[in-house]
Amino acid sequence: MATRELSGPPSILPLYAKAALPMIPGASLLPFVPGSGKDVPELELVMPEVTFDAKSLAAYNRVCGFTLRDAVPSTYIHVLAFPLHMALMGEPNFPFGAVGLVHVNNTITQHRPVSMSETLSIKVTASKLRPHAKGKQFDMVAQAKAGRTIVWEGVSTYLRLGKGDPSLKVQHEKVEDPPVSATWRLEGGLGRRYAGASGDRNPIHLYDLTAKPLGFNKAIIHGMWTKARCLAALESVLPDAYKVDVQFRKPIPLPSKVTFGEEISKDGIRFAVRNARKGTPHLDGTVVQVAAKKR
Amino acid sequence: MTPTVRRVAVVGGNRIPFARSNGPYAHASNSDMLAAALDGLIERYNLQGETLGEVVAGAVLKHPRDRDLTREVVLGSKLAPETPAYDVQQACGTGLETTIAVANKIALGQIDAGIAGGVDTTSDAPLALNDDLREVLLDANRIPDTAGRLKLLTRLRPGMIKPAIPANQEPRTGLSMGEHCAIMASEWGITREAQDELTIRSHNALAAAYDKGFQDDLLTPYLGLERDQNLRPGSTPEKLAKLKPVFGGPEGTMTAANSTPLSDGASVVLLASEEWAKARNLPILAYITEAQTAAIDHVHKREGLLMAPAYAMPTMLDRAGITLQDFDVYEIHEAFAAQVLCTLAAWEDPVFCKERLGRSAPLGSIDTEKLNINGGSLAAGHPFAATGGRIVAGLAKELSERGSGRGVISICAAAGQGVVAILESAGGAK
Repeated sequence: MATRELSGPPSILPLYAKAALPMIPGASLLPFVPGSGKDVPELELVMPEVTFDAKSLAAYNRVCGFTLRDAVPSTYIHVLAFPLHMALMGEPNFPFGAVGLVHVNNTITQHRPVSMSETLSIKVTASKLRPHAKGKQFDMVAQAKAGRTIVWEGVSTYLRLGKGDPSLKVQHEKVEDPPVSATWRLEGGLGRRYAGASGDRNPIHLYDLTAKPLGFNKAIIHGMWTKARCLAALESVLPDAYKVDVQFRKPIPLPSKVTFGEEISKDGIRFAVRNARKGTPHLDGTVVQVAAKKR
Repeated sequence: MTPTVRRVAVVGGNRIPFARSNGPYAHASNSDMLAAALDGLIERYNLQGETLGEVVAGAVLKHPRDRDLTREVVLGSKLAPETPAYDVQQACGTGLETTIAVANKIALGQIDAGIAGGVDTTSDAPLALNDDLREVLLDANRIPDTAGRLKLLTRLRPGMIKPAIPANQEPRTGLSMGEHCAIMASEWGITREAQDELTIRSHNALAAAYDKGFQDDLLTPYLGLERDQNLRPGSTPEKLAKLKPVFGGPEGTMTAANSTPLSDGASVVLLASEEWAKARNLPILAYITEAQTAAIDHVHKREGLLMAPAYAMPTMLDRAGITLQDFDVYEIHEAFAAQVLCTLAAWEDPVFCKERLGRSAPLGSIDTEKLNINGGSLAAGHPFAATGGRIVAGLAKELSERGSGRGVISICAAAGQGVVAILESAGGAK
């Protein structure tokens, strides 16, 4: 597999322009525009020296509801890896543009708490395309190391809507929702605030007007904000090392009032986000403890 | 029913390194910093899931949104959520006053263990709405009809955009703490040289404490800071002499070096009954045996604003049946070098001791070799409410390392208040 090293995070805005270009019919024929490949390219992107900046971390923690501790939230490392996701999806031989992809699942494994004074190396690769009920899906696989130790892993599954395999339709088990412990009011500008803190400026999150051309009536909040907000709500009960898996279901339009439900047992934590009025499922998640790595 | 009084143990403490205002902690809130200090304490003494009797902390500069600041921090921590908590605010006395509050409940058997602490940020300061604007908005809320509300708009002025900024100022005198201290320094004839010398000693002593690892189990790094940011070892009298006075006019003796800078930080102390500590195999560094708070009238009786500890001390000494000389370690909070020197001068002065303290003889002088031996606020910085916890934990550790002896803490606070306390080594007073 080819590996390319980046000295710093690629700039996100041009990547979004690139990501959107394949939506113009015929544009993918151009050499610099994604969309020419048949499958996800075999390429590894690496940022070898990733450091934390207190101001950016504080802004992220504030919008997600985390206390600014010395240990960084596990979802923040995803934010640092995200530009690599975008860069990889911006490769000319990537089979389609990133804009229009649906983030359906995200799994993060924190092997030990990561201090904000550590330096990490982050690498991102993508899995092969595989069928999905509503199109095709693939994983962006990210890994963060401190020295030689893998301290964090993230897997984001994206769906490209299209001709799918209906036999793969997931039957959601009829389990009872975890009991509600909190109600959150998501204000209209939340997508813009999170975009500022995370760098993810996908237009579907910013304004109703910028979300409409992409098929959404209203701006929707980032799935990774919702996941982060859930982890912030669980901060006092999270183990030092854990795997947190979430499934993104229906998008949350802004503004919204949603409920957060949680159920803590010896096997782990089950949590869910629902629309406060209609009960629309937005997110289902679990946390399980994993063996902690030493520092 | 007369309750039995139990001995109160200091098990240990933790703080984050103190930062200068708008430095590394510029974007950290009081809750963030208090949580960070508490996390480290919980980790060090294995308090995960523990239901404590009480956590008491506070901040001097506090946002109105931080209702139950301490309780909310406890809820976000690994302590059992069934641990009650409340906030205290007594200017720079906060940290020691919370220690006394928790200790007293332990002594009376009302609780077995608790955490005391304090936090302050001068960076993430609470800005309030301009008071004139606030009144217009509140009036608008009281008026039922839209026409009346619209009429109120005519009262809006561009100047109302300016927020109300918390000022380091005494409400009844209009003077800052530094200006008040400059008056004290001049009344007591405290020289610039003496203040600068105390400052250099403070920095060198704190640097030595770090170098020998004394601070290792007293703090946890936070946001990239591992030592107090204000610490500047190796300064010389010549360098300090070059600084211009910042309080007391051009003839003033107080500079940016011999006054504490605005700082950000947090500290916590774990206190317990002996039984509780022993049952968990936790150390007992020292016992808190006495405490006293006093206040003076700096408004009408022209007392020095920061002289209240001078009054609190003899009351406490009399009750303990000891003298000012019966201590092995003295921890006098260095809000300003001049404050420490004024306090020492007052205890030595027969006139002050007779006329103000009503004593036939002065309290006398102390051996300054025993003063702030691991550095003081001039070197560490002084996040108002966090100073008490820093001093209690540091003194308890010093007494524990000595194996015997007795130490005293003296902290001056705004609004003319002062808090003092005695700690005794677990090995007993000498």
